[in-house]
Amino acid sequence: MNNIEEKVWSYIDGSGTEEERAHIKFMIENDEAFKKIYDEIRSFDAELKAIELDEPPMAFTYRVMEGVRAEEAQKPLKATINNKIIYGIAAFFLLTIGALIIYALATVNWTDGKADSSIMSSVKIPELKLSPAVEKAFLFFGVVMALYMADALLRRSQQAKHN
Amino acid sequence: MQSKLSDIALIERVLGGDQSAYAELVRRHQRFVFTLAMRFAKNREDAEEIAQDSFIKAYRSLSAFQGNSKFTTWMYSIVYTTAMTFLRKKRVDTTSIDDENTYIQLESTHGSFDNNTAEKKSRSYYLNLAISQLLPDDAAIITLFYNGEQTLEEIAATMGMETNTVKVKLFRARQRLKDKLEGMLKHEVKELI
Repeated sequence: MNNIEEKVWSYIDGSGTEEERAHIKFMIENDEAFKKIYDEIRSFDAELKAIELDEPPMAFTYRVMEGVRAEEAQKPLKATINNKIIYGIAAFFLLTIGALIIYALATVNWTDGKADSSIMSSVKIPELKLSPAVEKAFLFFGVVMALYMADALLRRSQQAKHN
Repeated sequence: MQSKLSDIALIERVLGGDQSAYAELVRRHQRFVFTLAMRFAKNREDAEEIAQDSFIKAYRSLSAFQGNSKFTTWMYSIVYTTAMTFLRKKRVDTTSIDDENTYIQLESTHGSFDNNTAEKKSRSYYLNLAISQLLPDDAAIITLFYNGEQTLEEIAATMGMETNTVKVKLFRARQRLKDKLEGMLKHEVKELI
Protein backbone atom coordinates (compact mmCIF):
# COMPACT_ATOMS: atom_id res chain seq x y z
CA MET A 1 0.00 0.00 0.00
CA ASN A 2 1.32 3.36 -1.00
CA ASN A 3 -0.18 5.99 1.20
CA ILE A 4 -2.26 6.70 4.24
CA GLU A 5 -5.46 7.17 2.25
CA GLU A 6 -5.16 3.80 0.57
CA LYS A 7 -4.53 2.15 3.93
CA VAL A 8 -7.51 3.90 5.51
CA TRP A 9 -9.85 2.97 2.62
CA SER A 10 -8.73 -0.62 2.93
CA TYR A 11 -9.42 -0.49 6.69
CA ILE A 12 -12.90 0.98 6.15
CA ASP A 13 -13.71 -1.62 3.46
CA GLY A 14 -12.74 -4.35 5.87
CA SER A 15 -10.02 -5.76 3.65
CA GLY A 16 -6.40 -6.56 4.50
CA THR A 17 -4.91 -9.00 6.98
CA GLU A 18 -5.61 -8.93 10.72
CA GLU A 19 -2.10 -7.61 11.27
CA GLU A 20 -2.55 -4.76 8.79
CA ARG A 21 -5.91 -3.85 10.27
CA ALA A 22 -4.52 -3.81 13.80
CA HIS A 23 -1.68 -1.57 12.65
CA ILE A 24 -4.03 0.90 10.92
CA LYS A 25 -6.29 0.94 13.97
CA PHE A 26 -3.32 1.74 16.15
CA MET A 27 -2.26 4.55 13.81
CA ILE A 28 -5.76 6.06 13.78
CA GLU A 29 -5.83 6.08 17.55
CA ASN A 30 -2.35 7.49 17.98
CA ASP A 31 -1.52 9.60 14.93
CA GLU A 32 -3.33 12.90 14.41
CA ALA A 33 -2.71 12.99 10.64
CA PHE A 34 -4.01 9.45 10.31
CA LYS A 35 -7.06 10.27 12.45
CA LYS A 36 -7.89 13.36 10.35
CA ILE A 37 -7.73 11.42 7.09
CA TYR A 38 -9.73 8.57 8.64
CA ASP A 39 -12.54 10.93 9.71
CA GLU A 40 -12.61 12.56 6.29
CA ILE A 41 -12.73 9.27 4.43
CA ARG A 42 -15.27 7.73 6.78
CA SER A 43 -17.60 10.67 6.25
CA PHE A 44 -17.14 10.46 2.45
CA ASP A 45 -17.78 6.71 2.59
CA ALA A 46 -21.01 7.35 4.53
CA GLU A 47 -22.07 9.81 1.82
CA LEU A 48 -21.40 7.22 -0.87
CA LYS A 49 -23.40 4.64 1.03
CA ALA A 50 -26.30 7.08 1.22
CA ILE A 51 -26.45 7.70 -2.53
CA GLU A 52 -29.92 6.93 -3.79
CA LEU A 53 -30.44 4.89 -6.91
CA ASP A 54 -31.94 6.62 -9.93
CA GLU A 55 -35.64 6.07 -10.40
CA PRO A 56 -36.71 4.84 -13.84
CA PRO A 57 -39.96 6.13 -15.39
CA MET A 58 -43.18 4.82 -13.88
CA ALA A 59 -44.09 2.65 -16.85
CA PHE A 60 -40.67 1.01 -16.97
CA THR A 61 -41.72 -2.48 -15.81
CA TYR A 62 -44.75 -2.36 -18.10
CA ARG A 63 -42.56 -1.50 -21.10
CA VAL A 64 -40.09 -4.26 -20.28
CA MET A 65 -42.92 -6.77 -20.01
CA GLU A 66 -44.33 -5.55 -23.32
CA GLY A 67 -40.93 -6.27 -24.83
CA VAL A 68 -40.87 -9.69 -23.20
CA ARG A 69 -44.33 -10.50 -24.56
CA ALA A 70 -43.26 -9.37 -28.04
CA GLU A 71 -40.21 -11.59 -27.67
CA GLU A 72 -42.41 -14.55 -26.75
CA ALA A 73 -44.70 -13.90 -29.71
CA GLN A 74 -41.74 -14.01 -32.08
CA LYS A 75 -40.63 -17.42 -30.87
CA PRO A 76 -41.12 -20.07 -33.57
CA LEU A 77 -43.98 -22.51 -33.11
CA LYS A 78 -41.40 -25.25 -32.68
CA ALA A 79 -40.16 -23.64 -29.46
CA THR A 80 -43.60 -23.20 -27.95
CA ILE A 81 -45.04 -26.64 -28.72
CA ASN A 82 -44.39 -29.10 -25.97
CA ASN A 83 -42.33 -32.01 -27.29
CA LYS A 84 -44.51 -34.42 -25.32
CA ILE A 85 -47.48 -33.49 -27.52
CA ILE A 86 -45.47 -34.20 -30.68
CA TYR A 87 -44.30 -37.56 -29.30
CA GLY A 88 -47.86 -38.36 -28.22
CA ILE A 89 -49.21 -37.75 -31.71
CA ALA A 90 -46.41 -39.83 -33.22
CA ALA A 91 -47.08 -42.67 -30.76
CA PHE A 92 -50.82 -42.58 -31.60
CA PHE A 93 -50.18 -42.93 -35.33
CA LEU A 94 -47.54 -45.63 -34.87
CA LEU A 95 -49.88 -47.64 -32.63
CA THR A 96 -52.76 -47.27 -35.09
CA ILE A 97 -50.61 -48.40 -38.02
CA GLY A 98 -49.16 -51.24 -35.94
CA ALA A 99 -52.62 -52.40 -34.85
CA LEU A 100 -53.85 -52.28 -38.43
CA ILE A 101 -50.96 -54.41 -39.67
CA ILE A 102 -51.38 -56.92 -36.82
CA TYR A 103 -55.11 -57.14 -37.49
CA ALA A 104 -54.56 -57.62 -41.22
CA LEU A 105 -51.93 -60.33 -40.71
CA ALA A 106 -54.09 -62.09 -38.14
CA THR A 107 -56.87 -62.48 -40.68
CA VAL A 108 -54.62 -64.31 -43.20
CA ASN A 109 -55.39 -67.99 -43.54
CA TRP A 110 -51.79 -69.28 -43.40
CA THR A 111 -52.81 -72.98 -43.72
CA ASP A 112 -54.74 -72.54 -46.93
CA GLY A 113 -51.98 -74.19 -49.04
CA LYS A 114 -52.60 -71.97 -52.04
CA ALA A 115 -49.91 -70.08 -53.94
CA ASP A 116 -48.09 -67.11 -52.36
CA SER A 117 -50.00 -64.63 -54.52
CA SER A 118 -53.26 -65.62 -52.89
CA ILE A 119 -51.99 -64.59 -49.43
CA MET A 120 -52.50 -60.96 -50.25
CA SER A 121 -55.98 -61.65 -51.53
CA SER A 122 -56.85 -63.25 -48.21
CA VAL A 123 -55.75 -60.17 -46.24
CA LYS A 124 -58.84 -58.36 -45.09
CA ILE A 125 -58.31 -54.68 -44.64
CA PRO A 126 -60.90 -53.35 -42.24
CA GLU A 127 -63.28 -50.95 -43.78
CA LEU A 128 -62.75 -47.49 -42.38
CA LYS A 129 -65.91 -45.51 -42.19
CA LEU A 130 -65.21 -41.94 -41.18
CA SER A 131 -67.86 -39.40 -40.41
CA PRO A 132 -67.55 -36.05 -42.28
CA ALA A 133 -66.56 -34.34 -39.00
CA VAL A 134 -63.65 -36.75 -38.47
CA GLU A 135 -62.61 -36.33 -42.09
CA LYS A 136 -62.60 -32.54 -41.64
CA ALA A 137 -60.61 -32.90 -38.42
CA PHE A 138 -57.99 -35.01 -40.22
CA LEU A 139 -57.88 -32.49 -43.04
CA PHE A 140 -57.49 -29.62 -40.58
CA PHE A 141 -54.71 -31.44 -38.78
CA GLY A 142 -52.97 -32.04 -42.09
CA VAL A 143 -53.22 -28.36 -43.03
CA VAL A 144 -51.85 -27.28 -39.62
CA MET A 145 -48.93 -29.69 -39.95
CA ALA A 146 -48.22 -28.44 -43.47
CA LEU A 147 -48.25 -24.82 -42.26
CA TYR A 148 -45.99 -25.76 -39.37
CA MET A 149 -43.51 -27.38 -41.73
CA ALA A 150 -43.68 -24.40 -44.10
CA ASP A 151 -43.07 -22.03 -41.15
CA ALA A 152 -40.02 -24.04 -40.06
CA LEU A 153 -38.71 -24.12 -43.63
CA LEU A 154 -39.15 -20.35 -44.12
CA ARG A 155 -37.55 -19.54 -40.77
CA ARG A 156 -34.57 -21.74 -41.60
CA SER A 157 -34.08 -20.10 -44.99
CA GLN A 158 -34.49 -16.63 -43.43
CA GLN A 159 -31.93 -17.46 -40.78
CA ALA A 160 -29.55 -18.76 -43.43
CA LYS A 161 -29.91 -15.45 -45.28
CA HIS A 162 -29.11 -13.46 -42.09
CA ASN A 163 -26.05 -15.58 -41.41
CA MET B 1 -46.30 -13.38 -1.71
CA GLN B 2 -43.90 -13.05 -4.65
CA SER B 3 -42.01 -10.16 -3.06
CA LYS B 4 -40.79 -12.56 -0.37
CA LEU B 5 -39.33 -14.99 -2.87
CA SER B 6 -35.61 -14.97 -3.55
CA ASP B 7 -34.26 -14.02 -6.96
CA ILE B 8 -33.44 -17.66 -7.67
CA ALA B 9 -36.98 -18.77 -6.79
CA LEU B 10 -38.42 -16.08 -9.06
CA ILE B 11 -36.11 -17.15 -11.89
CA GLU B 12 -37.24 -20.76 -11.49
CA ARG B 13 -40.84 -19.61 -11.77
CA VAL B 14 -40.07 -17.61 -14.89
CA LEU B 15 -38.39 -20.64 -16.44
CA GLY B 16 -41.49 -22.61 -15.58
CA GLY B 17 -43.54 -20.17 -17.69
CA ASP B 18 -44.70 -17.62 -15.09
CA GLN B 19 -44.16 -14.23 -16.72
CA SER B 20 -45.48 -12.32 -13.72
CA ALA B 21 -42.48 -13.58 -11.75
CA TYR B 22 -40.24 -11.79 -14.22
CA ALA B 23 -42.23 -8.58 -13.74
CA GLU B 24 -41.49 -8.91 -10.02
CA LEU B 25 -37.79 -9.44 -10.75
CA VAL B 26 -37.77 -6.33 -12.96
CA ARG B 27 -39.53 -4.26 -10.30
CA ARG B 28 -37.03 -5.44 -7.71
CA HIS B 29 -33.91 -4.54 -9.70
CA GLN B 30 -35.04 -1.80 -12.07
CA ARG B 31 -33.52 1.03 -10.01
CA PHE B 32 -30.13 -0.66 -9.83
CA VAL B 33 -30.12 -1.52 -13.54
CA PHE B 34 -31.35 1.95 -14.50
CA THR B 35 -28.66 3.57 -12.32
CA LEU B 36 -25.99 1.42 -13.95
CA ALA B 37 -27.33 2.38 -17.37
CA MET B 38 -27.20 6.03 -16.32
CA ARG B 39 -23.55 5.60 -15.41
CA PHE B 40 -22.83 4.59 -19.01
CA ALA B 41 -25.35 6.63 -20.99
CA LYS B 42 -25.42 9.86 -18.98
CA ASN B 43 -28.94 10.77 -20.00
CA ARG B 44 -32.28 9.33 -18.98
CA GLU B 45 -33.65 8.51 -22.43
CA ASP B 46 -30.65 6.43 -23.45
CA ALA B 47 -30.40 4.90 -19.98
CA GLU B 48 -34.02 3.83 -20.19
CA GLU B 49 -33.44 2.18 -23.55
CA ILE B 50 -30.30 0.41 -22.31
CA ALA B 51 -32.02 -0.76 -19.11
CA GLN B 52 -35.05 -2.05 -21.04
CA ASP B 53 -32.91 -3.86 -23.60
CA SER B 54 -30.84 -5.35 -20.79
CA PHE B 55 -33.90 -6.79 -19.06
CA ILE B 56 -35.21 -8.23 -22.32
CA LYS B 57 -31.81 -9.77 -23.11
CA ALA B 58 -31.70 -11.16 -19.57
CA TYR B 59 -35.14 -12.73 -20.08
CA ARG B 60 -33.97 -14.28 -23.33
CA SER B 61 -30.96 -15.94 -21.71
CA LEU B 62 -32.38 -16.53 -18.25
CA SER B 63 -31.89 -20.27 -18.59
CA ALA B 64 -28.14 -19.60 -18.87
CA PHE B 65 -28.10 -18.02 -15.40
CA GLN B 66 -26.30 -20.56 -13.25
CA GLY B 67 -27.13 -19.04 -9.88
CA ASN B 68 -23.46 -19.10 -8.86
CA SER B 69 -23.46 -15.32 -8.52
CA LYS B 70 -26.03 -12.73 -7.54
CA PHE B 71 -28.64 -11.82 -10.14
CA THR B 72 -27.36 -8.22 -9.98
CA THR B 73 -23.83 -9.39 -10.78
CA TRP B 74 -25.11 -11.23 -13.83
CA MET B 75 -27.22 -8.21 -14.81
CA TYR B 76 -24.19 -5.95 -14.65
CA SER B 77 -22.43 -7.88 -17.42
CA ILE B 78 -25.58 -7.67 -19.55
CA VAL B 79 -25.99 -3.93 -18.92
CA TYR B 80 -22.31 -3.38 -19.68
CA THR B 81 -22.40 -5.13 -23.08
CA THR B 82 -25.76 -3.57 -23.96
CA ALA B 83 -24.50 -0.10 -23.07
CA MET B 84 -21.28 -0.52 -25.02
CA THR B 85 -23.17 -1.72 -28.12
CA PHE B 86 -25.67 1.11 -27.74
CA LEU B 87 -23.00 3.79 -27.32
CA ARG B 88 -20.97 2.45 -30.24
CA LYS B 89 -24.06 2.66 -32.45
CA LYS B 90 -24.98 6.07 -31.15
CA ARG B 91 -21.56 7.64 -31.30
CA VAL B 92 -22.13 10.75 -33.33
CA ASP B 93 -18.73 12.40 -33.24
CA THR B 94 -15.19 11.10 -33.34
CA THR B 95 -14.64 11.40 -29.60
CA SER B 96 -13.70 8.14 -27.94
CA ILE B 97 -16.21 6.76 -25.46
CA ASP B 98 -13.30 6.35 -23.08
CA ASP B 99 -12.52 10.04 -23.16
CA GLU B 100 -13.37 11.58 -19.82
CA ASN B 101 -14.17 14.92 -21.47
CA THR B 102 -17.02 13.34 -23.40
CA TYR B 103 -18.88 12.91 -20.17
CA ILE B 104 -18.11 16.38 -18.96
CA GLN B 105 -19.80 17.67 -22.12
CA LEU B 106 -22.81 15.48 -21.48
CA GLU B 107 -23.20 16.28 -17.82
CA SER B 108 -25.97 18.84 -18.31
CA THR B 109 -28.40 16.08 -19.15
CA HIS B 110 -28.16 14.61 -15.69
CA GLY B 111 -31.42 14.30 -13.84
CA SER B 112 -34.34 16.54 -13.38
CA PHE B 113 -32.74 18.58 -10.62
CA ASP B 114 -31.43 21.33 -12.86
CA ASN B 115 -34.12 23.80 -12.01
CA ASN B 116 -34.32 22.84 -8.41
CA THR B 117 -32.15 25.32 -6.56
CA ALA B 118 -32.53 23.73 -3.15
CA GLU B 119 -31.52 20.36 -4.56
CA LYS B 120 -28.71 21.94 -6.53
CA LYS B 121 -27.17 23.27 -3.38
CA SER B 122 -27.17 19.94 -1.61
CA ARG B 123 -23.99 17.94 -1.37
CA SER B 124 -25.68 14.78 -2.60
CA TYR B 125 -26.64 16.58 -5.81
CA TYR B 126 -23.00 17.40 -6.43
CA LEU B 127 -22.01 13.87 -5.51
CA ASN B 128 -24.35 12.48 -8.17
CA LEU B 129 -23.11 15.06 -10.64
CA ALA B 130 -19.50 14.15 -9.87
CA ILE B 131 -20.29 10.45 -10.41
CA SER B 132 -21.85 11.28 -13.76
CA GLN B 133 -18.58 12.90 -14.80
CA LEU B 134 -16.44 9.91 -13.97
CA LEU B 135 -15.33 7.42 -16.60
CA PRO B 136 -18.02 4.74 -17.05
CA ASP B 137 -15.82 2.05 -15.50
CA ASP B 138 -15.13 4.17 -12.42
CA ALA B 139 -18.79 5.10 -12.04
CA ALA B 140 -19.84 1.48 -12.51
CA ILE B 141 -17.38 0.13 -9.94
CA ILE B 142 -18.64 2.64 -7.38
CA THR B 143 -22.26 1.76 -8.19
CA LEU B 144 -21.58 -1.95 -7.91
CA PHE B 145 -19.79 -1.56 -4.59
CA TYR B 146 -22.18 0.87 -2.93
CA ASN B 147 -25.53 0.28 -4.64
CA GLY B 148 -25.14 -3.29 -5.81
CA GLU B 149 -23.89 -4.32 -2.40
CA GLN B 150 -21.23 -6.46 -3.99
CA THR B 151 -17.96 -7.48 -2.43
CA LEU B 152 -14.64 -6.80 -4.09
CA GLU B 153 -14.44 -10.50 -4.96
CA GLU B 154 -17.86 -10.43 -6.64
CA ILE B 155 -16.98 -7.30 -8.60
CA ALA B 156 -13.71 -8.93 -9.65
CA ALA B 157 -15.62 -11.98 -10.91
CA THR B 158 -18.10 -9.75 -12.75
CA MET B 159 -15.43 -7.67 -14.42
CA GLY B 160 -13.09 -10.57 -15.05
CA MET B 161 -10.30 -9.01 -13.00
CA GLU B 162 -8.15 -9.87 -10.01
CA THR B 163 -9.54 -8.80 -6.64
CA ASN B 164 -6.48 -6.65 -6.04
CA THR B 165 -6.95 -4.88 -9.38
CA VAL B 166 -10.54 -4.09 -8.44
CA LYS B 167 -9.38 -2.86 -5.05
CA VAL B 168 -6.93 -0.46 -6.69
CA LYS B 169 -9.53 0.61 -9.28
CA LEU B 170 -12.09 1.29 -6.57
CA PHE B 171 -9.56 3.27 -4.57
CA ARG B 172 -8.65 5.38 -7.61
CA ALA B 173 -12.30 5.86 -8.60
CA ARG B 174 -13.15 7.10 -5.11
CA GLN B 175 -10.13 9.41 -5.10
CA ARG B 176 -11.13 10.88 -8.46
CA LEU B 177 -14.69 11.27 -7.25
CA LYS B 178 -13.54 12.96 -4.06
CA ASP B 179 -11.32 15.36 -6.03
CA LYS B 180 -14.14 16.17 -8.47
CA LEU B 181 -16.59 16.76 -5.66
CA GLU B 182 -14.20 19.02 -3.79
CA GLY B 183 -13.47 20.93 -7.00
CA MET B 184 -17.18 21.42 -7.66
CA LEU B 185 -17.94 22.52 -4.12
CA LYS B 186 -15.04 24.98 -4.12
CA HIS B 187 -16.31 26.42 -7.40
CA GLU B 188 -19.81 26.70 -5.94
CA VAL B 189 -18.52 28.49 -2.82
CA LYS B 190 -16.58 30.93 -5.03
CA GLU B 191 -19.75 31.60 -7.05
CA LEU B 192 -21.71 32.26 -3.90
CA ILE B 193 -19.05 34.70 -2.62
